Amino acid sequence: MRSPAGGAPKFLNLIHIRFPIGAIASIGHRISGVLLLISLPLLVLTLERSLGSEAAFESLRTAVDTSWWRLVLLVLVWAAAQHALAGVRHLLMDIGIGSPLAQARTSAWAVILTAAIIAFAAAVRWLA
Amino acid sequence: MRVFVGQRAWLLQRASAVALLLILALGAALLLVGPPLTYERWHALATSPHGAVIIVLFFAALSLHGWIGARDIVLDYVHSLPVRLSVLAIIAVILFAVVIRVALTMAAHLSLVS
Repeated sequence: MRSPAGGAPKFLNLIHIRFPIGAIASIGHRISGVLLLISLPLLVLTLERSLGSEAAFESLRTAVDTSWWRLVLLVLVWAAAQHALAGVRHLLMDIGIGSPLAQARTSAWAVILTAAIIAFAAAVRWLA
Repeated sequence: MRVFVGQRAWLLQRASAVALLLILALGAALLLVGPPLTYERWHALATSPHGAVIIVLFFAALSLHGWIGARDIVLDYVHSLPVRLSVLAIIAVILFAVVIRVALTMAAHLSLVS
Protein backbone atom coordinates (compact mmCIF):
# COMPACT_ATOMS: atom_id res chain seq x y z
CA MET A 1 0.00 0.00 0.00
CA ARG A 2 1.35 3.35 -1.02
CA SER A 3 0.68 6.47 0.95
CA PRO A 4 -2.58 8.29 0.24
CA ALA A 5 -2.15 11.24 -2.11
CA GLY A 6 -0.21 14.01 -0.38
CA GLY A 7 -0.19 12.25 2.97
CA ALA A 8 2.66 10.68 4.89
CA PRO A 9 3.43 7.06 4.09
CA LYS A 10 1.36 4.62 6.12
CA PHE A 11 2.89 1.29 7.00
CA LEU A 12 0.10 0.19 9.26
CA ASN A 13 -0.52 -3.53 9.23
CA LEU A 14 1.65 -3.91 6.18
CA ILE A 15 3.21 -7.09 7.48
CA HIS A 16 -0.23 -8.52 8.20
CA ILE A 17 -1.62 -7.73 4.79
CA ARG A 18 1.21 -8.97 2.62
CA PHE A 19 2.53 -12.49 2.72
CA PRO A 20 5.12 -12.57 -0.06
CA ILE A 21 6.19 -15.78 -1.76
CA GLY A 22 9.54 -15.66 0.04
CA ALA A 23 7.71 -15.84 3.37
CA ILE A 24 5.69 -18.82 2.16
CA ALA A 25 8.90 -20.56 1.05
CA SER A 26 10.38 -19.83 4.47
CA ILE A 27 7.36 -21.22 6.35
CA GLY A 28 7.37 -24.23 4.01
CA HIS A 29 11.02 -24.82 4.87
CA ARG A 30 10.17 -24.86 8.57
CA ILE A 31 7.04 -27.00 8.31
CA SER A 32 8.77 -29.55 6.07
CA GLY A 33 11.77 -29.59 8.41
CA VAL A 34 9.55 -30.32 11.42
CA LEU A 35 7.75 -33.10 9.51
CA LEU A 36 11.06 -34.68 8.54
CA LEU A 37 12.36 -34.42 12.10
CA ILE A 38 9.21 -36.09 13.45
CA SER A 39 9.68 -38.92 10.95
CA LEU A 40 13.31 -39.50 11.99
CA PRO A 41 12.53 -42.24 14.56
CA LEU A 42 10.40 -43.93 11.89
CA LEU A 43 13.36 -43.79 9.52
CA VAL A 44 15.61 -45.43 12.12
CA LEU A 45 13.09 -48.24 12.65
CA THR A 46 12.80 -48.67 8.87
CA LEU A 47 16.58 -48.94 8.58
CA GLU A 48 16.73 -51.57 11.31
CA ARG A 49 13.89 -53.57 9.82
CA SER A 50 15.33 -53.39 6.30
CA LEU A 51 18.57 -54.97 7.49
CA GLY A 52 16.99 -57.51 9.84
CA SER A 53 16.05 -60.25 7.37
CA GLU A 54 14.78 -60.72 3.86
CA ALA A 55 11.26 -61.29 5.19
CA ALA A 56 11.42 -58.06 7.22
CA PHE A 57 12.75 -56.19 4.18
CA GLU A 58 9.86 -57.45 2.05
CA SER A 59 7.38 -56.68 4.82
CA LEU A 60 8.33 -53.00 4.46
CA ARG A 61 7.16 -53.13 0.84
CA THR A 62 3.82 -54.65 1.77
CA ALA A 63 3.41 -52.18 4.64
CA VAL A 64 3.79 -49.33 2.16
CA ASP A 65 0.94 -50.85 0.13
CA THR A 66 -1.61 -49.81 2.74
CA SER A 67 -3.19 -46.46 1.92
CA TRP A 68 -2.42 -44.88 5.30
CA TRP A 69 1.28 -45.45 4.93
CA ARG A 70 1.14 -44.23 1.35
CA LEU A 71 -0.38 -41.00 2.59
CA VAL A 72 2.34 -40.65 5.25
CA LEU A 73 4.98 -41.40 2.64
CA LEU A 74 3.43 -38.86 0.27
CA VAL A 75 3.58 -36.13 2.91
CA LEU A 76 7.20 -37.05 3.60
CA VAL A 77 8.07 -37.00 -0.12
CA TRP A 78 6.66 -33.48 -0.31
CA ALA A 79 8.51 -32.47 2.87
CA ALA A 80 11.82 -33.91 1.65
CA ALA A 81 11.49 -32.26 -1.79
CA GLN A 82 10.43 -28.92 -0.34
CA HIS A 83 13.14 -28.94 2.32
CA ALA A 84 15.96 -30.05 0.01
CA LEU A 85 15.05 -27.61 -2.76
CA ALA A 86 14.56 -24.69 -0.37
CA GLY A 87 17.82 -25.68 1.30
CA VAL A 88 19.72 -25.62 -1.99
CA ARG A 89 18.15 -22.20 -2.65
CA HIS A 90 19.49 -20.98 0.69
CA LEU A 91 22.94 -22.44 0.07
CA LEU A 92 23.10 -20.75 -3.35
CA MET A 93 22.09 -17.45 -1.77
CA ASP A 94 24.81 -17.91 0.85
CA ILE A 95 27.39 -17.91 -1.92
CA GLY A 96 25.74 -14.93 -3.55
CA ILE A 97 23.66 -16.59 -6.24
CA GLY A 98 20.09 -15.38 -6.65
CA SER A 99 19.88 -13.01 -3.70
CA PRO A 100 18.48 -9.96 -5.57
CA LEU A 101 14.78 -9.67 -4.74
CA ALA A 102 13.38 -10.46 -8.19
CA GLN A 103 15.54 -13.59 -8.51
CA ALA A 104 14.76 -14.63 -4.95
CA ARG A 105 11.04 -14.38 -5.65
CA THR A 106 11.39 -16.42 -8.85
CA SER A 107 13.41 -19.13 -7.10
CA ALA A 108 10.92 -19.22 -4.20
CA TRP A 109 8.15 -19.89 -6.72
CA ALA A 110 10.31 -22.48 -8.47
CA VAL A 111 10.98 -24.31 -5.19
CA ILE A 112 7.33 -24.40 -4.13
CA LEU A 113 6.07 -25.46 -7.56
CA THR A 114 8.76 -28.11 -8.11
CA ALA A 115 8.11 -29.65 -4.69
CA ALA A 116 4.37 -29.65 -5.45
CA ILE A 117 4.97 -31.30 -8.83
CA ILE A 118 7.16 -33.99 -7.23
CA ALA A 119 4.49 -34.64 -4.59
CA PHE A 120 1.82 -34.73 -7.29
CA ALA A 121 3.84 -37.23 -9.36
CA ALA A 122 4.22 -39.43 -6.27
CA ALA A 123 0.49 -39.14 -5.58
CA VAL A 124 -0.38 -40.16 -9.14
CA ARG A 125 1.93 -43.13 -8.85
CA TRP A 126 0.83 -44.36 -5.42
CA LEU A 127 -2.72 -43.26 -4.88
CA ALA A 128 -4.16 -43.72 -8.35
CA MET B 1 21.30 -23.76 25.77
CA ARG B 2 24.59 -22.75 24.35
CA VAL B 3 25.13 -25.83 22.25
CA PHE B 4 26.02 -25.04 18.66
CA VAL B 5 24.87 -21.44 18.65
CA GLY B 6 25.64 -18.34 16.61
CA GLN B 7 28.12 -18.53 13.79
CA ARG B 8 29.12 -22.10 14.62
CA ALA B 9 25.50 -23.23 14.36
CA TRP B 10 25.12 -21.38 11.07
CA LEU B 11 28.21 -23.10 9.69
CA LEU B 12 27.29 -26.56 11.01
CA GLN B 13 23.79 -26.20 9.59
CA ARG B 14 25.26 -25.54 6.15
CA ALA B 15 27.98 -28.18 6.42
CA SER B 16 25.49 -30.85 7.54
CA ALA B 17 23.10 -29.78 4.77
CA VAL B 18 25.81 -30.26 2.14
CA ALA B 19 26.77 -33.64 3.67
CA LEU B 20 23.12 -34.77 3.58
CA LEU B 21 22.69 -33.65 -0.03
CA LEU B 22 25.86 -35.49 -1.08
CA ILE B 23 24.85 -38.71 0.67
CA LEU B 24 21.31 -38.50 -0.74
CA ALA B 25 22.75 -37.95 -4.23
CA LEU B 26 24.99 -41.00 -3.73
CA GLY B 27 22.01 -43.05 -2.60
CA ALA B 28 19.93 -41.88 -5.56
CA ALA B 29 22.78 -42.72 -7.95
CA LEU B 30 23.08 -46.22 -6.46
CA LEU B 31 19.34 -46.71 -6.92
CA LEU B 32 19.37 -45.46 -10.50
CA VAL B 33 22.35 -47.46 -11.75
CA GLY B 34 22.76 -51.13 -11.23
CA PRO B 35 20.23 -53.84 -10.50
CA PRO B 36 16.99 -53.17 -8.59
CA LEU B 37 17.26 -52.94 -4.83
CA THR B 38 16.74 -56.42 -3.49
CA TYR B 39 17.36 -57.33 0.14
CA GLU B 40 20.62 -58.97 -0.86
CA ARG B 41 21.97 -55.91 -2.66
CA TRP B 42 20.78 -53.47 0.04
CA HIS B 43 22.27 -55.63 2.81
CA ALA B 44 25.60 -55.90 0.98
CA LEU B 45 25.74 -52.15 0.34
CA ALA B 46 24.65 -51.09 3.82
CA THR B 47 26.77 -53.50 5.85
CA SER B 48 30.00 -52.99 3.93
CA PRO B 49 32.45 -50.82 5.92
CA HIS B 50 31.92 -47.88 3.55
CA GLY B 51 28.15 -48.27 3.55
CA ALA B 52 27.89 -48.55 7.34
CA VAL B 53 30.09 -45.49 7.92
CA ILE B 54 28.11 -43.46 5.38
CA ILE B 55 24.80 -44.47 6.99
CA VAL B 56 26.04 -43.50 10.46
CA LEU B 57 27.39 -40.22 9.06
CA PHE B 58 24.03 -39.61 7.39
CA PHE B 59 22.10 -39.99 10.65
CA ALA B 60 24.68 -37.98 12.56
CA ALA B 61 24.41 -35.14 10.03
CA LEU B 62 20.61 -35.47 10.07
CA SER B 63 20.49 -35.23 13.86
CA LEU B 64 22.90 -32.30 13.99
CA HIS B 65 20.99 -30.48 11.24
CA GLY B 66 17.69 -31.29 12.94
CA TRP B 67 18.97 -30.04 16.29
CA ILE B 68 19.98 -26.65 14.89
CA GLY B 69 16.71 -26.26 12.98
CA ALA B 70 14.55 -27.41 15.88
CA ARG B 71 16.41 -25.11 18.24
CA ASP B 72 15.80 -22.14 15.94
CA ILE B 73 12.09 -22.92 15.82
CA VAL B 74 11.75 -23.53 19.57
CA LEU B 75 13.55 -20.27 20.37
CA ASP B 76 11.19 -18.43 18.00
CA TYR B 77 7.91 -19.83 19.26
CA VAL B 78 8.39 -21.14 22.81
CA HIS B 79 8.96 -18.23 25.16
CA SER B 80 8.39 -19.79 28.56
CA LEU B 81 11.85 -20.71 29.81
CA PRO B 82 10.97 -23.96 31.64
CA VAL B 83 8.90 -25.21 28.67
CA ARG B 84 11.63 -24.15 26.26
CA LEU B 85 14.32 -25.99 28.17
CA SER B 86 12.13 -29.09 28.53
CA VAL B 87 11.30 -29.21 24.83
CA LEU B 88 14.95 -28.67 23.86
CA ALA B 89 16.08 -31.35 26.30
CA ILE B 90 13.57 -33.88 24.93
CA ILE B 91 14.66 -33.16 21.34
CA ALA B 92 18.34 -33.40 22.27
CA VAL B 93 17.86 -36.75 24.04
CA ILE B 94 15.88 -38.21 21.12
CA LEU B 95 18.41 -37.03 18.51
CA PHE B 96 21.32 -38.32 20.59
CA ALA B 97 19.55 -41.66 21.00
CA VAL B 98 18.98 -41.83 17.23
CA VAL B 99 22.69 -41.49 16.49
CA ILE B 100 23.72 -43.97 19.20
CA ARG B 101 21.10 -46.49 18.09
CA VAL B 102 22.03 -46.26 14.40
CA ALA B 103 25.74 -46.56 15.25
CA LEU B 104 25.06 -49.68 17.36
CA THR B 105 22.79 -51.17 14.69
CA MET B 106 25.33 -50.65 11.93
CA ALA B 107 28.16 -51.96 14.12
CA ALA B 108 26.13 -55.10 14.82
CA HIS B 109 25.44 -55.66 11.12
CA LEU B 110 28.91 -54.78 9.89
CA SER B 111 30.29 -57.50 7.68
CA LEU B 112 34.04 -57.27 7.67
CA VAL B 113 34.43 -60.19 5.30
CA SER B 114 33.67 -59.22 1.76
